[in-house]
Amino acid sequence: MAWGREAGEGTEGVQSWARRPAVPAAPGTGARGAGVAGTGAMGTGALGTSALGAGAALAGRVLSVADLTRRVRARVESDPGLARVLVKGEVSAFRRHTSGHLYFTLKDEVAQIRCVMFRSRAGGLRGPVGDGVSVIAFGSVGVYEAGGQYQLYVEVLFPAGLGELYAAVERLRRKLEAEGLFDPARKRPLPLLPRRVGVVTSPVGAAIRDVITVSRRRFPKIDLLVAPAQVQGEQAPRSLIRAIEDLQASGLVDVIIVGRGGGSPEELAAFNDEGVVRAIAACRVPVVSAVGHETDVTLADLAADRRAPTPSAAAELVVPLYSQLQADLRAASHRLAQGLVRRVRLARERLELLTRSPVLRRPEALLQQRRQRVDELSLRLAAAIRGVLRDRRAQAEGLAGRLDALSPLATLGRGYAAVLEGPGGALVRSVRALRPGQRVQVVLSDGSASARVEEVHPDVAQGDRA
Amino acid sequence: MSHRETAPEVEPARAPSFEQALKRLEAIVARLESGELSLEEALQLFEEGVRMARHCSARLEEAEGRLEALLRDEDSGALMVRTFEPEGRGSLPEAAEGMERGAASG
Repeated sequence: MAWGREAGEGTEGVQSWARRPAVPAAPGTGARGAGVAGTGAMGTGALGTSALGAGAALAGRVLSVADLTRRVRARVESDPGLARVLVKGEVSAFRRHTSGHLYFTLKDEVAQIRCVMFRSRAGGLRGPVGDGVSVIAFGSVGVYEAGGQYQLYVEVLFPAGLGELYAAVERLRRKLEAEGLFDPARKRPLPLLPRRVGVVTSPVGAAIRDVITVSRRRFPKIDLLVAPAQVQGEQAPRSLIRAIEDLQASGLVDVIIVGRGGGSPEELAAFNDEGVVRAIAACRVPVVSAVGHETDVTLADLAADRRAPTPSAAAELVVPLYSQLQADLRAASHRLAQGLVRRVRLARERLELLTRSPVLRRPEALLQQRRQRVDELSLRLAAAIRGVLRDRRAQAEGLAGRLDALSPLATLGRGYAAVLEGPGGALVRSVRALRPGQRVQVVLSDGSASARVEEVHPDVAQGDRA
Repeated sequence: MSHRETAPEVEPARAPSFEQALKRLEAIVARLESGELSLEEALQLFEEGVRMARHCSARLEEAEGRLEALLRDEDSGALMVRTFEPEGRGSLPEAAEGMERGAASG
């Protein structure tokens, strides 16, 4: 039933593909053995005898080879399980065509598959590959119609051993990252002008020469201290660790460049070594890593305070431009002097302004003003005092007048006499206090006389008046 | 060092680094240009600025163009500093030559 489906319906998914037999069924039954498609719906007997019947069956049901192949291709290339796969196998029949494309076969004990790696994907060849090499290929399965072949279009190819190397590096990376070794917060800034630059690299080769050349071009008298080390091979990790620790222990350098020129993944392996990476992370002096080329990233690069794509670039990061620093310093000194000059000028201007002011030029003018004011105020004060005195005097005179009117002396002046009991005694207010024969004092306005009472005559009408 | 304005980043044991001195100098210039200082303060800061500029200059000129290697004595294990002789073809620019070139372009 499934065979009768039209081409172009291929997007059924993996499940429908799985239901079909993995290998095309071998020609077995008679009708299928005739090699005619589209018999399912009709049954196998329909073609058996009549030529007319056969003709009718054949018409419209016959595919060209191209059609059939196209169907297969559509089926294969639409399957997500065949796209971007990783395949492990052994290489055989490896050859490089003049076009630059690579052709080879990948095989294992049971099966094989043709592979092609186009020249445009040449960057995906990661390591030495040839007949007999166990590799891991990354790519997609497709159908080459003209050749009637399904094949693996390879994008990345590397020796399987290298794959394991990559996996191990990735495991180490995760472990160290979890410890916080690559934490951006741990990165230290590089000194603007290092007293001395430390370099850990091979004493021979392009890397050290590049560092020296670039450093001297930027800052001709810069001091460099090289700690020679092996940068590949079995001894490399220990050698690198030693060199880094020695530079740190010497106390002579402000910054360290650790690196080497380009190389294969195996050649760069020392910079993925756990000990080396830890030594870089633990180094108290800032470290700039410069391993291989731009695209090579090692764990050393992650642990360093800065990463440079090449040793030359590292020198550019670490060594400042002498001419630039000189210019900066000159500019700052100039502004310093200018700043002071301006400040002094400001002070001088202020002083001049003050000396021009009228107060400073004719100080007595101020005094005259004040003096005049004082005179004015004195006059007013005197007048005010006089005024007050006048008022008070009038008031006092008024009060004196009243006092006078109320004074008993005035009363006496008008002809009245005061009677006192005996000499210096109390004033007699009532006639009833007197007894005949009593001695009294009579006080008049101009003197007194002693007298004796003869008779007392109280008025009856007024009653007691005390 | 001025007693008025403290520079906390200066190590007590040695003179400031180029970077520290330059930063201090730039800070002084900014204050001076702000115009808010008394004349006496301005003079004091100016003096300190001159000292900083001299430090910077000293640092800039104290490099000697040395190219050395840090090695370990095989017997004692002690660290030693020796002149470094890079091998290989061609010659490297001499420190002196480079200095002339640098001076010309600087």
